[in-house]
Amino acid sequence: MTRRVEQDEHIEQLWYMKERGEGSVAFLKRIMKGAFELKDLQELVGRGLVELSPDGATVKLSEAGDARARQLIRAHRLAERLIADVLGGGDLEQVACEFEHTVSLELVNGICTLLGHPRECPHGMPIPEGECCKLAKKTELSFIVPLLDIKVGESARIAYINCKNDQQLHKLEGLCVRPGVVVKLHQTYPAYVIECEGASIALDKAVIANISVWKNFDDPLALVGVKAREKKPVATGLAGFIGSFFKPAFKK
Amino acid sequence: MSPGQPVISAAAADIKPIKKAAIVGLPNTGKTQVFNNLTGEYNIVANYPGTTVEMKRTITRIRDQHYEVIDTPGLHCLYIHSEEEVAVRDMILAEAPDVIIQCVDASQYKQSLLLTAELLELETPLVLVLNAMDAGGRNGPAVSGPELERLLGVPVVESSSPRGLGKDELKAAILKARRSTLGIKYGFHVESRIGDITSALPFDLLFKHKIAVLLLLNDLFIGRFLEMKLGREKASAVLAQVAAILREVKPNTRQAINDRRNQWVDRVAEGVVIKQKASRPGFAHYVTQASRHPLLGIPIFLSLMAVVYLSVVYVSGALDKVINFLVVSPVTGLITALSLPPFWTDMLIGNHGLLTLGLFNAICTVLPILSVFFFVFGCFEDSGYITNFTVFSKRVFGKIGIPGNAITSLVLGFGCKTMATLSTRGLTDRKEKFIAVFLIAFAIPCSAQLGISMAILAKVGVSAFLIVFGVLILCEAAAGILLNTIIKGKAESAYIQVIPPMRFPSLKAVCQKTYHRIIDFLKEALPIFIFSAIGLFIFDKIGLLALTKQALAPLITGWMGLPKDIIDVFLLALARREAAAGLILKMVDAGALNYVQSIVAVVVTTISFPCVANVIAIGREMGWKAAVSMTVLIFVSSFVLVGALNWALVLIFAVR
Repeated sequence: MTRRVEQDEHIEQLWYMKERGEGSVAFLKRIMKGAFELKDLQELVGRGLVELSPDGATVKLSEAGDARARQLIRAHRLAERLIADVLGGGDLEQVACEFEHTVSLELVNGICTLLGHPRECPHGMPIPEGECCKLAKKTELSFIVPLLDIKVGESARIAYINCKNDQQLHKLEGLCVRPGVVVKLHQTYPAYVIECEGASIALDKAVIANISVWKNFDDPLALVGVKAREKKPVATGLAGFIGSFFKPAFKK
Repeated sequence: MSPGQPVISAAAADIKPIKKAAIVGLPNTGKTQVFNNLTGEYNIVANYPGTTVEMKRTITRIRDQHYEVIDTPGLHCLYIHSEEEVAVRDMILAEAPDVIIQCVDASQYKQSLLLTAELLELETPLVLVLNAMDAGGRNGPAVSGPELERLLGVPVVESSSPRGLGKDELKAAILKARRSTLGIKYGFHVESRIGDITSALPFDLLFKHKIAVLLLLNDLFIGRFLEMKLGREKASAVLAQVAAILREVKPNTRQAINDRRNQWVDRVAEGVVIKQKASRPGFAHYVTQASRHPLLGIPIFLSLMAVVYLSVVYVSGALDKVINFLVVSPVTGLITALSLPPFWTDMLIGNHGLLTLGLFNAICTVLPILSVFFFVFGCFEDSGYITNFTVFSKRVFGKIGIPGNAITSLVLGFGCKTMATLSTRGLTDRKEKFIAVFLIAFAIPCSAQLGISMAILAKVGVSAFLIVFGVLILCEAAAGILLNTIIKGKAESAYIQVIPPMRFPSLKAVCQKTYHRIIDFLKEALPIFIFSAIGLFIFDKIGLLALTKQALAPLITGWMGLPKDIIDVFLLALARREAAAGLILKMVDAGALNYVQSIVAVVVTTISFPCVANVIAIGREMGWKAAVSMTVLIFVSSFVLVGALNWALVLIFAVR
């Protein structure tokens, strides 16, 4: 148990290697630099998380190891998203690294839901899907909804833009369509038309689909699922904890 | 002053070297209007993004200093998305203008601030022009010019361009423009990375800081610029060095740059906004929304078309009569009275006469229609309806597989096909671009044609008008669907388009534009009208015309069901389509064409003969091979189509 964090680190690196299609121990050594320990690797083999080839040259994650790595990577990249999008930047790497080893599966799913099940981390790497993503893209807990789900005439604050195409993202940014601004939906057909910082902008559905917004952005209680009048005890536990983060940020 | 720029002999002490002033800004922010005001020249302006597709230069004097003023197409930011924008950036980076004038739409000033931030990074003296200050007060947040000037550290001129207000202030501002130090600071971490890259760049390169930032952001086109500037070998050495530095850069650096920029923009925007009560959306707002509404848009579109139709038919009909009475009848009478030898009379006022087919055709038949049409069309352009119409028409165009970005170009084609073809430069996807260029050249009538076609068909009946435009739309749709299936690949570019709010068109701007369009038409087309008339006259006299008529008779009379004399029209159409249309108009008047024949004739002239300027534009955008093959394809397919149309109509109406 003592070297759990270090061993997790190995598992994570193996996941990166899988994403890149690499499988040699030499490569693992190179990317982990000084952090590589043969003993940890052997212990992982012993725990049934890693499979090492007989000659010791190639290495890969076992099924169980894959599941563990998936969980770690998911936590890491979601933490990055959380820091980058919601908490306003900072040193992504370090916080995310500490975060991934300590959080529970439930908390990770909670954060994922809160963020609206993002598909990529701020660096553009894919975030592995969790149960929550598969189950519910539109559960009542997802306070961030796709802009597609907003009704005509409603306003919403952009949470983030999940866009693969760099140029498209820059074009949107150039028009001030970016996280933090409030947009109003004017029309959905034949093209989507949104109003943003005084300009009307017509967009394809494909572009709109990439934009996620905070609904009820000016009502912090609504963010955590509490309707102001009926005081439901929903805001305790996870939602209340996370909600407490955001209240100050959304005070007008 | 950049190295390599021609310096006019400094020995002549009273002649200062010419300085350069580049006008840049987001699309549809009034750059050309500022250019016109500054230089006293006239270039077409419209309330439509992408009106200017080429850079225009002219030399003007401000006090005792000569400036080369450069008008540019729209530019969103210096991090480039498209070919047309890269031209503007390359011009700035290569020519290093002495002053940059940025046009900003006051009602949407925040969008422009990102570009402002980047222009400040260039450390070139900058002047900001706040356009449409009067509209800004009504529709959006009002912005304080003096405050903006304080926050940016550069002169800000408030102007209302169409009225030419703020011209003198702008000139004064250009003279006192200076560098500002109030641009973005990226912070120690990013700046030191920028420093690393800067030191890898050649010592004498201009704008090293900005180029370093672009390299850091992985700009797609900056490598090409370096190649152009430094030569392939040196550039690739530099780029390799930069790539090594970039590998060491933390992945969140790009995000940090964007964050800094956004913070800067937010800070400035917040500082200059004049707080005001949220005004209730006005009448214009509702009209704008209705004009692009999927249902309400239909009656609006139809009623506007009706306005065009009625004004072209009645107003130009009246003008026609007046000119006929004042010019044509007296001149014809005079020539007849002179009783010249028959050859000369024939040459002047005969069927293929220099005056009949040349001068009178141009000024008496075509000109009234064009002036009315240009005026009405100008009103639409100025009101901002056309961009809203692109959103509305996306439904139809989308059905036939034309992506949103191409629609803007296609709609522009109703104004001028050449301009529209050049504007496809903004399309990044090759397939999308090919389809757009083809469809523009194919069955879209340009404004001149549209006007004259309306006038011709009005004489035959409203049903003819509807049939022709129905057929044209069908042809266009069929071509769109066909090309979409034939050409491989999937067009994937995204449609992102700012649409201007509608406003009441400025009468002065519209009149000015109509006047200049008419002058341009006369300058360009009148000589062609006259020369083609002479050509046709000679052709006729030496008997070649009759021979051609005989040779083509099976095609013309057999297949297309048109009278033999229509050859005259086709020959004129090769030179200038308005001339051909004018002749058709006359033939309809004379009863030489029946109902079906008129329809067929109008469709032929609309799609069979791409105008020369358009073909040249296609060549420039797509290469000459594509231009030639497109022209041939259009020519052949149109004759097949028109024949089929003829037979269909004959069957339906049982003429003959």
